[in-house]
Amino acid sequence: MNQTIEELHELLKEKKITSQELVQESLKKSHEVQEKYNAFVTILDEAKATEITDNPLSGIPFGIKDNYSTKGILSTGSSNTLKDYIPIFTATAVEKLLSAGAIPVNKTVLDEFGMGGTGTSGHTGVVLNPWDSTRMCAGSSAGSACAVASGVYPYALGSDTGDSIRKPAAYCGIVGYKPTYGMISRYGVFPFASSLDHCGVLTRSVADAAIVVDNMKGIDPQDMTSWDSKDLHLYEHVKDDVKGLHCCYIKELCNIESYPNPTEELKSHLENFKNKLELCKELGIEVEEVSVDSALLEALPSVYVAISCAEATSNMSNLTGLIFGPRGEGNNVFEMMMNHRTHGFSPLIKRRFVIGSYILQKENQERYFKNAQRVRRLLVDTWKKLFETYDAVILPVGTGPAKHLDGDKDILSHDTEVLEEHLQIGNFGGFPSITLPDGFINNLPVALNITGNCYNDETVLKIAYALESKMNYKNQIAKEVE
Amino acid sequence: MGKYKAVIGLEMHCELKSNSKVFSSAKNSYNEVPNDNITYLDLALPGTLPVVNKKCVHDALMMSMALNCTQPEYMYFDRKNYYYPDLPKGYQITQMDAPVGINGFVEIECKGEKKKIYIHDIHLEEDAASLDHFYDTTNIDYNRAGVPLLELVTEPCINSPEEAVAFLETMRSIYKYCDVSEADTKKGQIRCDVNVSIMDNDATELGTKVEMKNINSFSNVYDAICYEIKRQSELKDQGRYDEVEQETRRFDEETGTTIRMRSKADALDYKYFVDPNLPKFKIDPEWLEEIRNEIPLLANQRKEKYIKEHGLSEYDAGVIVKEREYAEYFENCIALGIDTKTAANWLTTQILGFINKEEISLKDFYLTPKLLKQIIDEIDKGTLSTKLAKEVFYKALEEKKEPKNFISQENAQISDKNELETLINQILEENTHQVEEYKKGKTNLFDFFVGQVMKNTHGKANPVLTKEILKQKLEK
Amino acid sequence: MKFTSELVDDLAAKLLIGLSKEENQMVVDEFNIIDDTLKKVEKIENIKEVEPMTHCLDDFTFTLREDKANESISVEDALRNCKKTEGREVEVPKVVGGDN
Repeated sequence: MNQTIEELHELLKEKKITSQELVQESLKKSHEVQEKYNAFVTILDEAKATEITDNPLSGIPFGIKDNYSTKGILSTGSSNTLKDYIPIFTATAVEKLLSAGAIPVNKTVLDEFGMGGTGTSGHTGVVLNPWDSTRMCAGSSAGSACAVASGVYPYALGSDTGDSIRKPAAYCGIVGYKPTYGMISRYGVFPFASSLDHCGVLTRSVADAAIVVDNMKGIDPQDMTSWDSKDLHLYEHVKDDVKGLHCCYIKELCNIESYPNPTEELKSHLENFKNKLELCKELGIEVEEVSVDSALLEALPSVYVAISCAEATSNMSNLTGLIFGPRGEGNNVFEMMMNHRTHGFSPLIKRRFVIGSYILQKENQERYFKNAQRVRRLLVDTWKKLFETYDAVILPVGTGPAKHLDGDKDILSHDTEVLEEHLQIGNFGGFPSITLPDGFINNLPVALNITGNCYNDETVLKIAYALESKMNYKNQIAKEVE
Repeated sequence: MGKYKAVIGLEMHCELKSNSKVFSSAKNSYNEVPNDNITYLDLALPGTLPVVNKKCVHDALMMSMALNCTQPEYMYFDRKNYYYPDLPKGYQITQMDAPVGINGFVEIECKGEKKKIYIHDIHLEEDAASLDHFYDTTNIDYNRAGVPLLELVTEPCINSPEEAVAFLETMRSIYKYCDVSEADTKKGQIRCDVNVSIMDNDATELGTKVEMKNINSFSNVYDAICYEIKRQSELKDQGRYDEVEQETRRFDEETGTTIRMRSKADALDYKYFVDPNLPKFKIDPEWLEEIRNEIPLLANQRKEKYIKEHGLSEYDAGVIVKEREYAEYFENCIALGIDTKTAANWLTTQILGFINKEEISLKDFYLTPKLLKQIIDEIDKGTLSTKLAKEVFYKALEEKKEPKNFISQENAQISDKNELETLINQILEENTHQVEEYKKGKTNLFDFFVGQVMKNTHGKANPVLTKEILKQKLEK
Repeated sequence: MKFTSELVDDLAAKLLIGLSKEENQMVVDEFNIIDDTLKKVEKIENIKEVEPMTHCLDDFTFTLREDKANESISVEDALRNCKKTEGREVEVPKVVGGDN
């Protein structure tokens, strides 16, 4: 189970292992990881082997984030509002993997409905980082990141509204990839903020990410925002030459001088990042420094909160406990709905709903919501402008390795650094974006991110693959530090 | 309307005809069996997404054009957010920002006068589920959730309950002519919200607007407006106009009064915003043109044509254009070469009389224009009297057999020349006195002889032939 | 309208959500940060002329759904997750008053 999809597929083909053995091993590991890190909502002990075909995913176990609707299997979104919800239909992306012969073995914990970046707000409790259980996995795809990093299976599904695949991947030392918006159908994925929600995958190698997304993508008549990507062949091109490509990094984010009181961690993180840029150059990629309007960058976190909270408050209005989910108590139907929502949602989500609702009020819309949408466009246009010259923007992820669980509690504070939040631009513009491990600080993994223009997923992946090949972090399994 | 002027605005919701719902693929049809026309989206199950039905957009655009509205360049939808047990998603998908039509008008006729009613906007949206209330519980049936609705909002330019009803009738006619809705109030397919305010005849500032929601028949719209004008006028008369509050009221059918529901201050903020799940799409001008060409001639246009081109009376033309199927029946008759007035006559008297009595639709009426022509042809040929023609008409309907079956048999005229000659000879012999008188110049006795022949044959004698033989004999 | 704790409670109630005192205060604090930033946004030159970005992608074509109806899902499936049903329907306590 510590191997990549590519390797496992070879072994299965050559009958050196069986699908059954993989499933058993994966289930066994699932229970161990659950015991240690609390990564799963459900472990599917009855999972069965599948036939080995030419599809590289056939016969191989994987994990599904618990905000993907799975028919007949508890799907909670890690929320008490759906703690007993057993869907009657399966998300398109999962359906596609099932027909490829992939075997789901568990449903992974997330921050409630994906709203959160810590992996601490799921209704089944906190997910611990497998590298250091006093630290967080980040979120919201916390369980998926934890499980893949622990070697439960080679990949797990994630969803990404701000950085929910790419941040936990970074904190867990693995690869997190969200393709261009709409490449993978959102049908059957519990929505957080529909205009920002992306499906994607967490793996331990870039090539594996390409393989999985090749199998998840495709236009879906049930999702009007999905598009036809049959001309994109991610895995086929992942190993293509990158010589002559152009990348840029953003001065305001990457230069230590931008930060008045940098921590030692931040210093090492940025220095490590700059070193990796040298690797790019060795690969024949030209790397340049660019500057971006800092007023726009500084608005980023608030713009994200404004848009995502506004959409979320509407998206989650269906959670009333009347048709599904536990019934609330009360003397009339409104009291029942209120009781369901008051007790079903965690405090974080409730706060976000109130903010979203305020922003959407008639008299506030122009000032808050529409202005946020305007800045979103300005930021996206800025990035699109960069993509006229550069094939990708390459940036460090976060301010260092995984944070301690007793620190950040997901509250937007004045000193939230743009560096922590910049991956959200990938969601604003629907850009393909991949995070991969680029080093260690105090024995904990750190990561960088590569983001390209819409529909240029192949380019983003081949840069990531080339860079991955220059480093020693491919397919790494978490080793708990002292 | 007395010393005050009433200012009325209407919001009319009309269910559209389609195979599937507007954003889900569940069937759009009335179904007595609860929760039998539903799919995942109609229950708002987590992860479901709306997908726009092309026909609904097509029909909405058609209505937009039929009402002389301006269409947007891009089409998209907004969410109207509120909590109610009949709204599973917690929001209704509707159009706020860029409705399918704005700034239109429609011409109505009320008490013989023509008037333009201005349309503020027309937009496509989805219906809510239906609630069935019991003693202490309510059951929710999602069959209606997601049924396509067109909502039309007029400017406040209607000034009497008669005008309001005339407008609604006109709209119903347009919906039916365009075949986008059955527009049947009995099936709850049309629902109206009505705004009423009053003002002094010479005033320029509008009075306080009172809204009445969810009125489900045109006569109730009429009654509600009458009541509200009366209520507001009385308060104004008594110097208590400040008691007229900007509020929402409900029309109570039993008492014919309106009852306060809530004041404007309690109005919900629906927090409208563009639905990100439904992409903005450019309305292809070519498609728009295609749809424009599909708009049929509407009732008022046909009426004018029937009067001008076919010489029909205002009344007959009005009756015929009342329903599109009447007008089409009429036009099919003309196309078959039936005389316009004859066709109008048969349609407005015999045919409509029959279908109204039998309570059937003209579509299910056995005598198609082609079959009707069998009767009319015989009349024209003189082989069938009008009286007998009617008998043939009912016989054919009764037995559902072609009229020609009844024309040559028992009801057929006596057209045999020899038979008639024998009969006429006999009559002339029996009435020698009259024959003499006639020959002396009392030619108006001719009708007497015709009458005698008819009497003897119980009206079956071919009148043309009878006259011919009589003339021949009497001229001798 | 000032963002006060009373307003927060009112907003929450309209969302059918109850907040504790502590949660209420957190909303106020958090909102003030957003408010500060978005105040700065208002100062961005020509911001009002920018078209608000409502969708993630607005440069692609797509098709509307053909008007074909599918079979209804079964009522057993439809009500599978519902905690209180009556016959083929979802049952709730009698709904009185208020509506859209």
